[in-house]
Amino acid sequence: MDCSISIRNLIKDFGSTRVLKGLDLNISAGRFVTLLGPSGCGKTTLLRSVAGISDPTSGEIWLGHRRIDGVAPEKRNFGMVFQTYALFPHMSIERNVAFGLEMRRVAKPDIARRVAAALDLVGLGQHARRLPRQLSGGQQQRVALARAIVIEPNVLLFDEPLSNLDAKLRDSLREDLRTLQQKLGITSIYVTHDQTEAMALADEIVVMKDGEIVERGTPVDLYRRPAFRFTAEFLGMTNVIDAEVRAGECRLPWGAVRPVENPDERNVEGIAIRPEDLSIESTDGEADGVIEQSMFMGAATHYWISVGGKTLRSIATGGHTAVLDNGQKVKLTAPPSLHLLRSFQPSPGAVS
Amino acid sequence: MNEATRVRTPVLLLCLLPGVGYLTVFFGVPLVRVLVGSFSSNKPGESFPTLDTWATLFATPVYLDGLWFSIWLGLAPTVLSLLVSLPLSALMLANERSRKLFGALYRVPLVVPGIVAGFLVLVILDRGGMAARLAAPLGLTLPRLVRDEWGLGAIIASSWKSIPFMTLIISGAMASINKEVLSAARTLGAGRVTIFWRVQMPLAKPGITAAVLLSFIGSLGSFVIPSLLGPAYPLPLSVSMYREGFQNGNWPMVYAMGTLLSVVAIGILLVYYAIVGSTGRSQPLSKRDS
Repeated sequence: MDCSISIRNLIKDFGSTRVLKGLDLNISAGRFVTLLGPSGCGKTTLLRSVAGISDPTSGEIWLGHRRIDGVAPEKRNFGMVFQTYALFPHMSIERNVAFGLEMRRVAKPDIARRVAAALDLVGLGQHARRLPRQLSGGQQQRVALARAIVIEPNVLLFDEPLSNLDAKLRDSLREDLRTLQQKLGITSIYVTHDQTEAMALADEIVVMKDGEIVERGTPVDLYRRPAFRFTAEFLGMTNVIDAEVRAGECRLPWGAVRPVENPDERNVEGIAIRPEDLSIESTDGEADGVIEQSMFMGAATHYWISVGGKTLRSIATGGHTAVLDNGQKVKLTAPPSLHLLRSFQPSPGAVS
Repeated sequence: MNEATRVRTPVLLLCLLPGVGYLTVFFGVPLVRVLVGSFSSNKPGESFPTLDTWATLFATPVYLDGLWFSIWLGLAPTVLSLLVSLPLSALMLANERSRKLFGALYRVPLVVPGIVAGFLVLVILDRGGMAARLAAPLGLTLPRLVRDEWGLGAIIASSWKSIPFMTLIISGAMASINKEVLSAARTLGAGRVTIFWRVQMPLAKPGITAAVLLSFIGSLGSFVIPSLLGPAYPLPLSVSMYREGFQNGNWPMVYAMGTLLSVVAIGILLVYYAIVGSTGRSQPLSKRDS
């Protein structure tokens, strides 16, 4: 079965507010795609529309060659994992996992076998008889994951599944999720507002804003060569500097000149320099800027540097460099080539 | 006992006084008075602890029929109301439109006093009443619904009163269920009916129990509705209590009937808890390693 997802001109109105403004999105079978955006950008509504829990106002959703918008969620065979875990609080762990199989009228011995296998897969086999409230948040979310994959779904949907967990658990579950998805090869759509999560998990990230898709790409492409300022600022930290481009070269505020990777861009908003690409060196002589503030973060030290009245951010890594004092004069080194950012224009037809 | 507890005990008792004291004075004392009173006798010259009244109560067919009728008038409206309130509560959650429609409608009986409800049913269902007149041109004759031997009129009126209470409590309990749990059930392949039975009902169980308890106790002790709409025979114990007290002056009998009614109520609720408490509990998938 072809488990690719195709979304065509999807519109969703809540009263007079248009939360999805005619989205088009294709997701190839077996891919792990993350929908990333600030709260209220429509990513959860999009996911719920794919699940069938939310009815789109218009547009089409296709699973392979089958149109599924209008198909009841219980007929779609999609596994979904929720932010609040959404386990059945009155059922034991194994009953929770068995629920989907019971709905499919799987034979009893097969249910027992598949439930045990799914619980072993998420490392919770020994907790089968417990109730959800007797498990930690991370364990509960593992049960929810087992419950979603045991039905052998066409597509796996994740609605901010790690948001309710503390940082350590989040990291370990994130790794497990990635490993599991790669092992099973199920088409997955994952909603998050956490850019680190999106980059760590996804084959591909779809950046959303105000009910529209800003751009999509692999984590590396979107992080290193984002087309839009919105993407650059949402994915990690970035310095956006006013750009003056002449003959394919850009002069930076402190005088350095660098070639531009994409000089023909229109609607340019500035150039992007990631803090980790902007290195500093203390100097007693002629300086490009002065350190305003620093923050020691363990693996890295963050600096705020005043350059010609503006503040730029720089990240220094490595354990052997001393933390520089505030007021220290520094020389700046920009990356060998620069990348121009466009401003994101909402589509003209969009109502807000 | 150490120093700290010795100092704190009187303070603790003082703190408990408003709650415990209130219960003792306004609940405990009258209840004991009723219980003690049932062991006295109405006949002059009898010594105090006597089983005379209880013996009479259990030897009089009128009273025993009354006891069964009381239980019937308590149970039937509760079951009927539950059958209406459960789906109504689930429906109100299903979508916004039905919530608005039923949300306003079901509250109407809440503000109508029992006696008014009784007269409403009387006006509509009595012989020659509105329902009969509407049915007559169609050639239909309605069964006797008021003052009938099954107490159907009283059951209808009691249900009419308790459906809103039940719906209020049960829909509240159902509304507090995490919406994502219901969504999860749907993505796993459960339709609305399955979700109602397997998820909403078990999770709303505490609310359903509270609603059943309130409705049952209310209908069991109801006086207004059976005296207005019930048959001349049998009379439920609530009505007999009134007659024994105010017409015959037989107060020990009133006390005995009151005690019996309370004991029966407690007994039936214990049975209810025994049945409901054991359902919905997770059964293991297989017998292995259990």
